[in-house]
Amino acid sequence: MWNKDRPVPSYMQGSTRRVGIMTDVHRRFLQLLMTHGVLEEWDVKRLQKHCYKVHDCNATVEKLEDFINNINSVLESLYIEIKKGVTEDDGRPIYALVNLATTSVSKMASDFAENELDLFRKALELIIDSETGFASSTNILNLVDQLKGKKMRKKEAEQVLQKFVQHKWLVEKEGEFTLHCRAILEMEQYIRETHPDAVKVCDLCHGLLIQGQSCETCGIKMHLPCVAKYFQSNSEPRCPHCNDYWPHEIPEVFDPEKEREAGISKSNKKPLRSRQH
Amino acid sequence: MSEQSKDVCDPNFTAEPSNSEVYGSPGVPGGPSPPASQAATLAGPESPPLGPTDASLALPPSQAPSEEGDPKALQQAAEEGRAHQAPSAAQPSPTPPAPAQLVQKAHELMWYVLVKDQKRMIIWFPDMVKDVIGSYKKWCRSILRRTSLILARVFGLHLRLTSLHTMEFSLVKALEPEELDRVALSNRMPMTGLLLMILSLIYVKGRGARESAVWNVLRILGLRPWKKHSTFGDVRKLITEEFVQQNYLKYQRVPHVEPPEYEFFWGSRASREITKMQIMEFLARVFKKDPQAWPSRYREALEEARALREADPTAHCPRSSVSED
Repeated sequence: MWNKDRPVPSYMQGSTRRVGIMTDVHRRFLQLLMTHGVLEEWDVKRLQKHCYKVHDCNATVEKLEDFINNINSVLESLYIEIKKGVTEDDGRPIYALVNLATTSVSKMASDFAENELDLFRKALELIIDSETGFASSTNILNLVDQLKGKKMRKKEAEQVLQKFVQHKWLVEKEGEFTLHCRAILEMEQYIRETHPDAVKVCDLCHGLLIQGQSCETCGIKMHLPCVAKYFQSNSEPRCPHCNDYWPHEIPEVFDPEKEREAGISKSNKKPLRSRQH
Repeated sequence: MSEQSKDVCDPNFTAEPSNSEVYGSPGVPGGPSPPASQAATLAGPESPPLGPTDASLALPPSQAPSEEGDPKALQQAAEEGRAHQAPSAAQPSPTPPAPAQLVQKAHELMWYVLVKDQKRMIIWFPDMVKDVIGSYKKWCRSILRRTSLILARVFGLHLRLTSLHTMEFSLVKALEPEELDRVALSNRMPMTGLLLMILSLIYVKGRGARESAVWNVLRILGLRPWKKHSTFGDVRKLITEEFVQQNYLKYQRVPHVEPPEYEFFWGSRASREITKMQIMEFLARVFKKDPQAWPSRYREALEEARALREADPTAHCPRSSVSED
């Protein structure tokens, strides 16, 4: 039906950047990535191999980074991209197809009622403003009276919060809520635009920061995986900004090989390190 | 289901039900009532020659837009999109909007459709108009056309009108071979496993399955109506409300029974998206038996498969069980 190897032509006059070629391998990859929402790197690699196997088993599997950049060059004109992120607590690389043109929480908009969306926005604000990146259930529920739309009772709000957890927008730990890695990936732009002053940023990677470690002297913050990489095998970790001694436990760099060997199943996975703030 | 198996929650699923049935749609609802002459007014501002079929959105696999059509269309769409910073809120205007705004709407609609599909929600035309197209309703046909084009070109998906009567669309894979992407990622879609368990039970029984019977089966998975599950959450709500809302199941009161009892039936969406042969394969996998161990059901599945092939000879034979192991 489609000439599957016909290139999508360059969209910019005089651009030096070549737009990639879309084949059925890439199309199936996109389909499956979209279906699964957010995926870890290991799964993404499996997915890629699967797509090659189905459509072009004789071709060499392209390096994942190039494969994805290739696809993204085609997606650019559609204002979507395959975005790579890292989970804030243990540094796992994750991927999701995100809409760059989002100016509101539009991905959620069709699933949730107006008051539910507003509850999310309120929870989001509490999370961003908090020191730890977590907002307690109590504090969120206390805002129930301020919600737009139909009046919501606290009992109902509790269930809505669970719904957010199930849809992977929030994560719950011991009665406190923070953003799911998927939400951070998808909404980073939106969050930065709507909370330009309150938003925290990692001093190392300059990405949006919800959870992380802070320097007690000068106040800069860094993601746990960024800290892990920066201070790797450094016996005397010092703040990159003010050079004061870094007072927190340095986490381990995420190692996918070690993960797999230990055969830890996803459901009972222990966090590799404790949360520090 | 007589046998119990450890592997009941079969991980070998994909979330995507592939739709082998094509409801041939001769016309397109270009909004509740725009007359066909609207199409002519669209020819002005945006001119990508999208091929011969103006009317039909459900492009059958054998028919493709013209060779020059799509690269030019996509290029034009891309150029327009890049060049013009259109505002996201649609300005109601009697005159045709700038091409770039239509392009932007097509992109929004594309994302909207993808997300709906991801969430297994029905893609309902009136919702598309309300949520995305808005005041550009008059141009929704061209917007839809462009969206279909992009979806086909980039994702290999057909935006197909599955039911003119209910105005429902669905995203259908257009790639060959059309098959379930099993085990591309195992263990990722437990929901599908849960649903298939229930559908299989109903199918094997040959009639509705009482709620009590369903819970007997789910007990095998360690699921109870009163217990919250780490993956599924509130299982009872999931199967009696969410799956019902998504039209995968029907949950109805058993007539003339006191105290009230309820039973499950296949929903319309399950009937459309899942074939009996898939159920047989699921049963075979789960219980490690040959599908012919359920002889009358297997025969039914064969009949259905034959009927599907005859109804649409261009579609592939559904479901060769491709094992990815």
